[in-house]
Amino acid sequence: MTTEGALAGLKVLDVAGTIASGYCGKLFADHGAEVINVEPPDGGFETRREPPFIPGSDAPESSALHAYLSTNKASVALDVGAEPERLVRLAQGSAVVLDDGHFDCAAFTGAAPEVVVSTITWFGRHGPYADFKGNGAVCWSLGGMVRNVGPEQGPPWVPTGCGAEIVGGLAAYIGTMGQVIARAMGNATGPVRLDTSIHEANLCFTEVGGVGGYRSGRRGKRLGVNRFAPTYPLGVYACADGWLGVTALTPRQWKNFCSLLAMDQYADEPDYQTAIGRLMDYDTLEPIIRQRVRKRSAAELVIRGQSLRVPLAPVPTMEELFSVDQYVHRGAFTEISCNGTGFQVPATPFRLFRTPSTAGGTVARLGESNGEYGE
Amino acid sequence: MSRPGILAGLRVVDLSMGWAGPLAARHLADMGADVVKVEGCVRFDWWRGWEATQGWIDSHGAEKNPAFNMVNRNKREVTLDLSTPVGTDLLKRLVAVSDVVVENYSAGVLPKLGLDYPVLSGINPALVMISMPAFGTDGPWSSYRAYGSTVEQASGLPHLSGESDYPPTMVHVALGDSVGGLNGAAALLTALYERQRTGEGQHLDLSQSECLFPLGVQGILTQSVTGAPPPRRGNRSSRHAPHGVYRCVGEDEWIAIAVQSETEWDAFSAFSGIDGFGDVADRLSWVDELDAAIASFTEGQVAEVLMLELQAVGVRAGYVASGLELATDPHLAGRGFWKLMERDHVGVLPHPAAPYRVGEEPFDIDRPAPTLGEHNRELLGDLLGLSEAEMDDLERDGVIGTTPRLS
Repeated sequence: MTTEGALAGLKVLDVAGTIASGYCGKLFADHGAEVINVEPPDGGFETRREPPFIPGSDAPESSALHAYLSTNKASVALDVGAEPERLVRLAQGSAVVLDDGHFDCAAFTGAAPEVVVSTITWFGRHGPYADFKGNGAVCWSLGGMVRNVGPEQGPPWVPTGCGAEIVGGLAAYIGTMGQVIARAMGNATGPVRLDTSIHEANLCFTEVGGVGGYRSGRRGKRLGVNRFAPTYPLGVYACADGWLGVTALTPRQWKNFCSLLAMDQYADEPDYQTAIGRLMDYDTLEPIIRQRVRKRSAAELVIRGQSLRVPLAPVPTMEELFSVDQYVHRGAFTEISCNGTGFQVPATPFRLFRTPSTAGGTVARLGESNGEYGE
Repeated sequence: MSRPGILAGLRVVDLSMGWAGPLAARHLADMGADVVKVEGCVRFDWWRGWEATQGWIDSHGAEKNPAFNMVNRNKREVTLDLSTPVGTDLLKRLVAVSDVVVENYSAGVLPKLGLDYPVLSGINPALVMISMPAFGTDGPWSSYRAYGSTVEQASGLPHLSGESDYPPTMVHVALGDSVGGLNGAAALLTALYERQRTGEGQHLDLSQSECLFPLGVQGILTQSVTGAPPPRRGNRSSRHAPHGVYRCVGEDEWIAIAVQSETEWDAFSAFSGIDGFGDVADRLSWVDELDAAIASFTEGQVAEVLMLELQAVGVRAGYVASGLELATDPHLAGRGFWKLMERDHVGVLPHPAAPYRVGEEPFDIDRPAPTLGEHNRELLGDLLGLSEAEMDDLERDGVIGTTPRLS
């Protein structure tokens, strides 16, 4: 299944089958590595039971999320607990094994002497929470992400979806590739076990808040829906034809934003020359901004605002997203085929111009690759 | 200068500003690459401060932003005025002895300066260079002005979070920055591996907005395969119940609880005394009553204690932390996640570890963020071979310096 791409020639085994390992492996597969999902024969990876599901498709081939994560990967059905020797055989020549903490390097070193066993867990392999059960809500709550989202009076809102696991898988890819390159450069040799904490990966969003807490000894306050210090105006506003995304941070952006909305009387107000100053007078400014944009076209405001160097953007609905000119132009979505059904998925978000990633592809059925790998 | 680490021997020229680009370069720095940050005294990194005044400069405001200081640790720094021929010439000499360039200028800036990929790759054919504008290097929005908030808005993801009677809901002040930075690091390492095999460099780009799509992929896929978006459910799940954030004792204290199997429900039920809600299908159909019962149970509990008790019986739970708790969290402390370092003008501050590690110790953070132009003499002298007299001339002419200027 090796395809040309920047990572052609690398062999990667996924024995974890989580969303995080799946996304990490997906980045390898998108760039041409040979990635093998080693799945339990009775039902396959847990990602096969994750929504959304493809209408008319039956388990275990019906998860669109599993299809997105597993495009262009092989699927070998193997009970690794019952037949570890077959797993070792499959690992022959592997650069990377993605796991969730059940294997160590010693299991593979005979077959893959330079293997990077990349372990991705919710809270890392040691520490007081190492045995905690996690999910996105728990991870983002403990990581400080949830606290600032939602109404002022609460409850705070958990961001929807599997973003925490995706960020964990992305961070694991960075760490794993660092180890792979180190071996190619001669900076490291032999097997290694890398430990990625999904929790710590997601602290990339809130580490500044941690430093703020350390310095001030105080807790920040949730300001309400679409309100985040220190920036104001910032948010999503209803317009005549959809939703407008607004950010005005610098004094010049504020001045031009006022000009755009015929609010010139506020442009030079001394207290409004800083983002924090404007945020502190939210109650005055917010009704005015809402009223000024309500009957205008978001599309027109974006064009006029951007011509004034004000960071405005449309906020497309899910339905609109696939036909946004910018995303169509860049091929931001690509079609994959799962068990005979084709549908659009996000393409790889970064581009290597000389060695492009694979666009689209197919999804292996559970155990489809057993014959190819002698299983 | 080679730093210890698995990427020792690689040199990165970091032209980027703000959060995303510098975060991409930080990951390489954490793994041992020699990252050289390039700023100008007039065109300094706006992440140092976006409301500059002379008073701010005089009080060393440019050195005090913790967000700047965290994302630029483990780097060296040189100031170069890239609006001058001598500044661009020095940058080209730096690129000639480097492996990677990271940039996130608006489209058209680097070509105007004569420093775009075709020029730089002519100087160093093995160069790996990434451009990280908000919406990518091509397309009708390629020159749009944007922040991490703008790209979250444009990604459509606000239509997935929150409750349906509220506007589309953002989940961060600058969601796109961190995710763009992680993707930038991933892209660079992908290309560097390929270069290690072939000896050839290449140009990369990413769209920070597109980088957010995977975070909302379940919503995007729902639209794709069913033709309709998923409903916005707030903290609830379509498949699991209970799944919510519940009030605890104290001001603005909350706990997230998520029960994802019947085994976990049995454990939760036994611990809390809440029963009679049947299986998951029943619990989903009685979710208002279930959430009310749980809220009554949690309102007398201390969130952090309840988390420990629920986790001990196998139930997914986590208290809703603030920045203050992050700084003192026993798990993060136990893993050595924060490293205290002293830096000029700010004193001692904690620095977060890389999220991946080998063994129990995180990758080392061996230097705090550089002050403006801190390593001018070291880099221009030792690396590019300029004499002290030449560097004195550069300083006199304002090409290099250590103090920001408004113009």
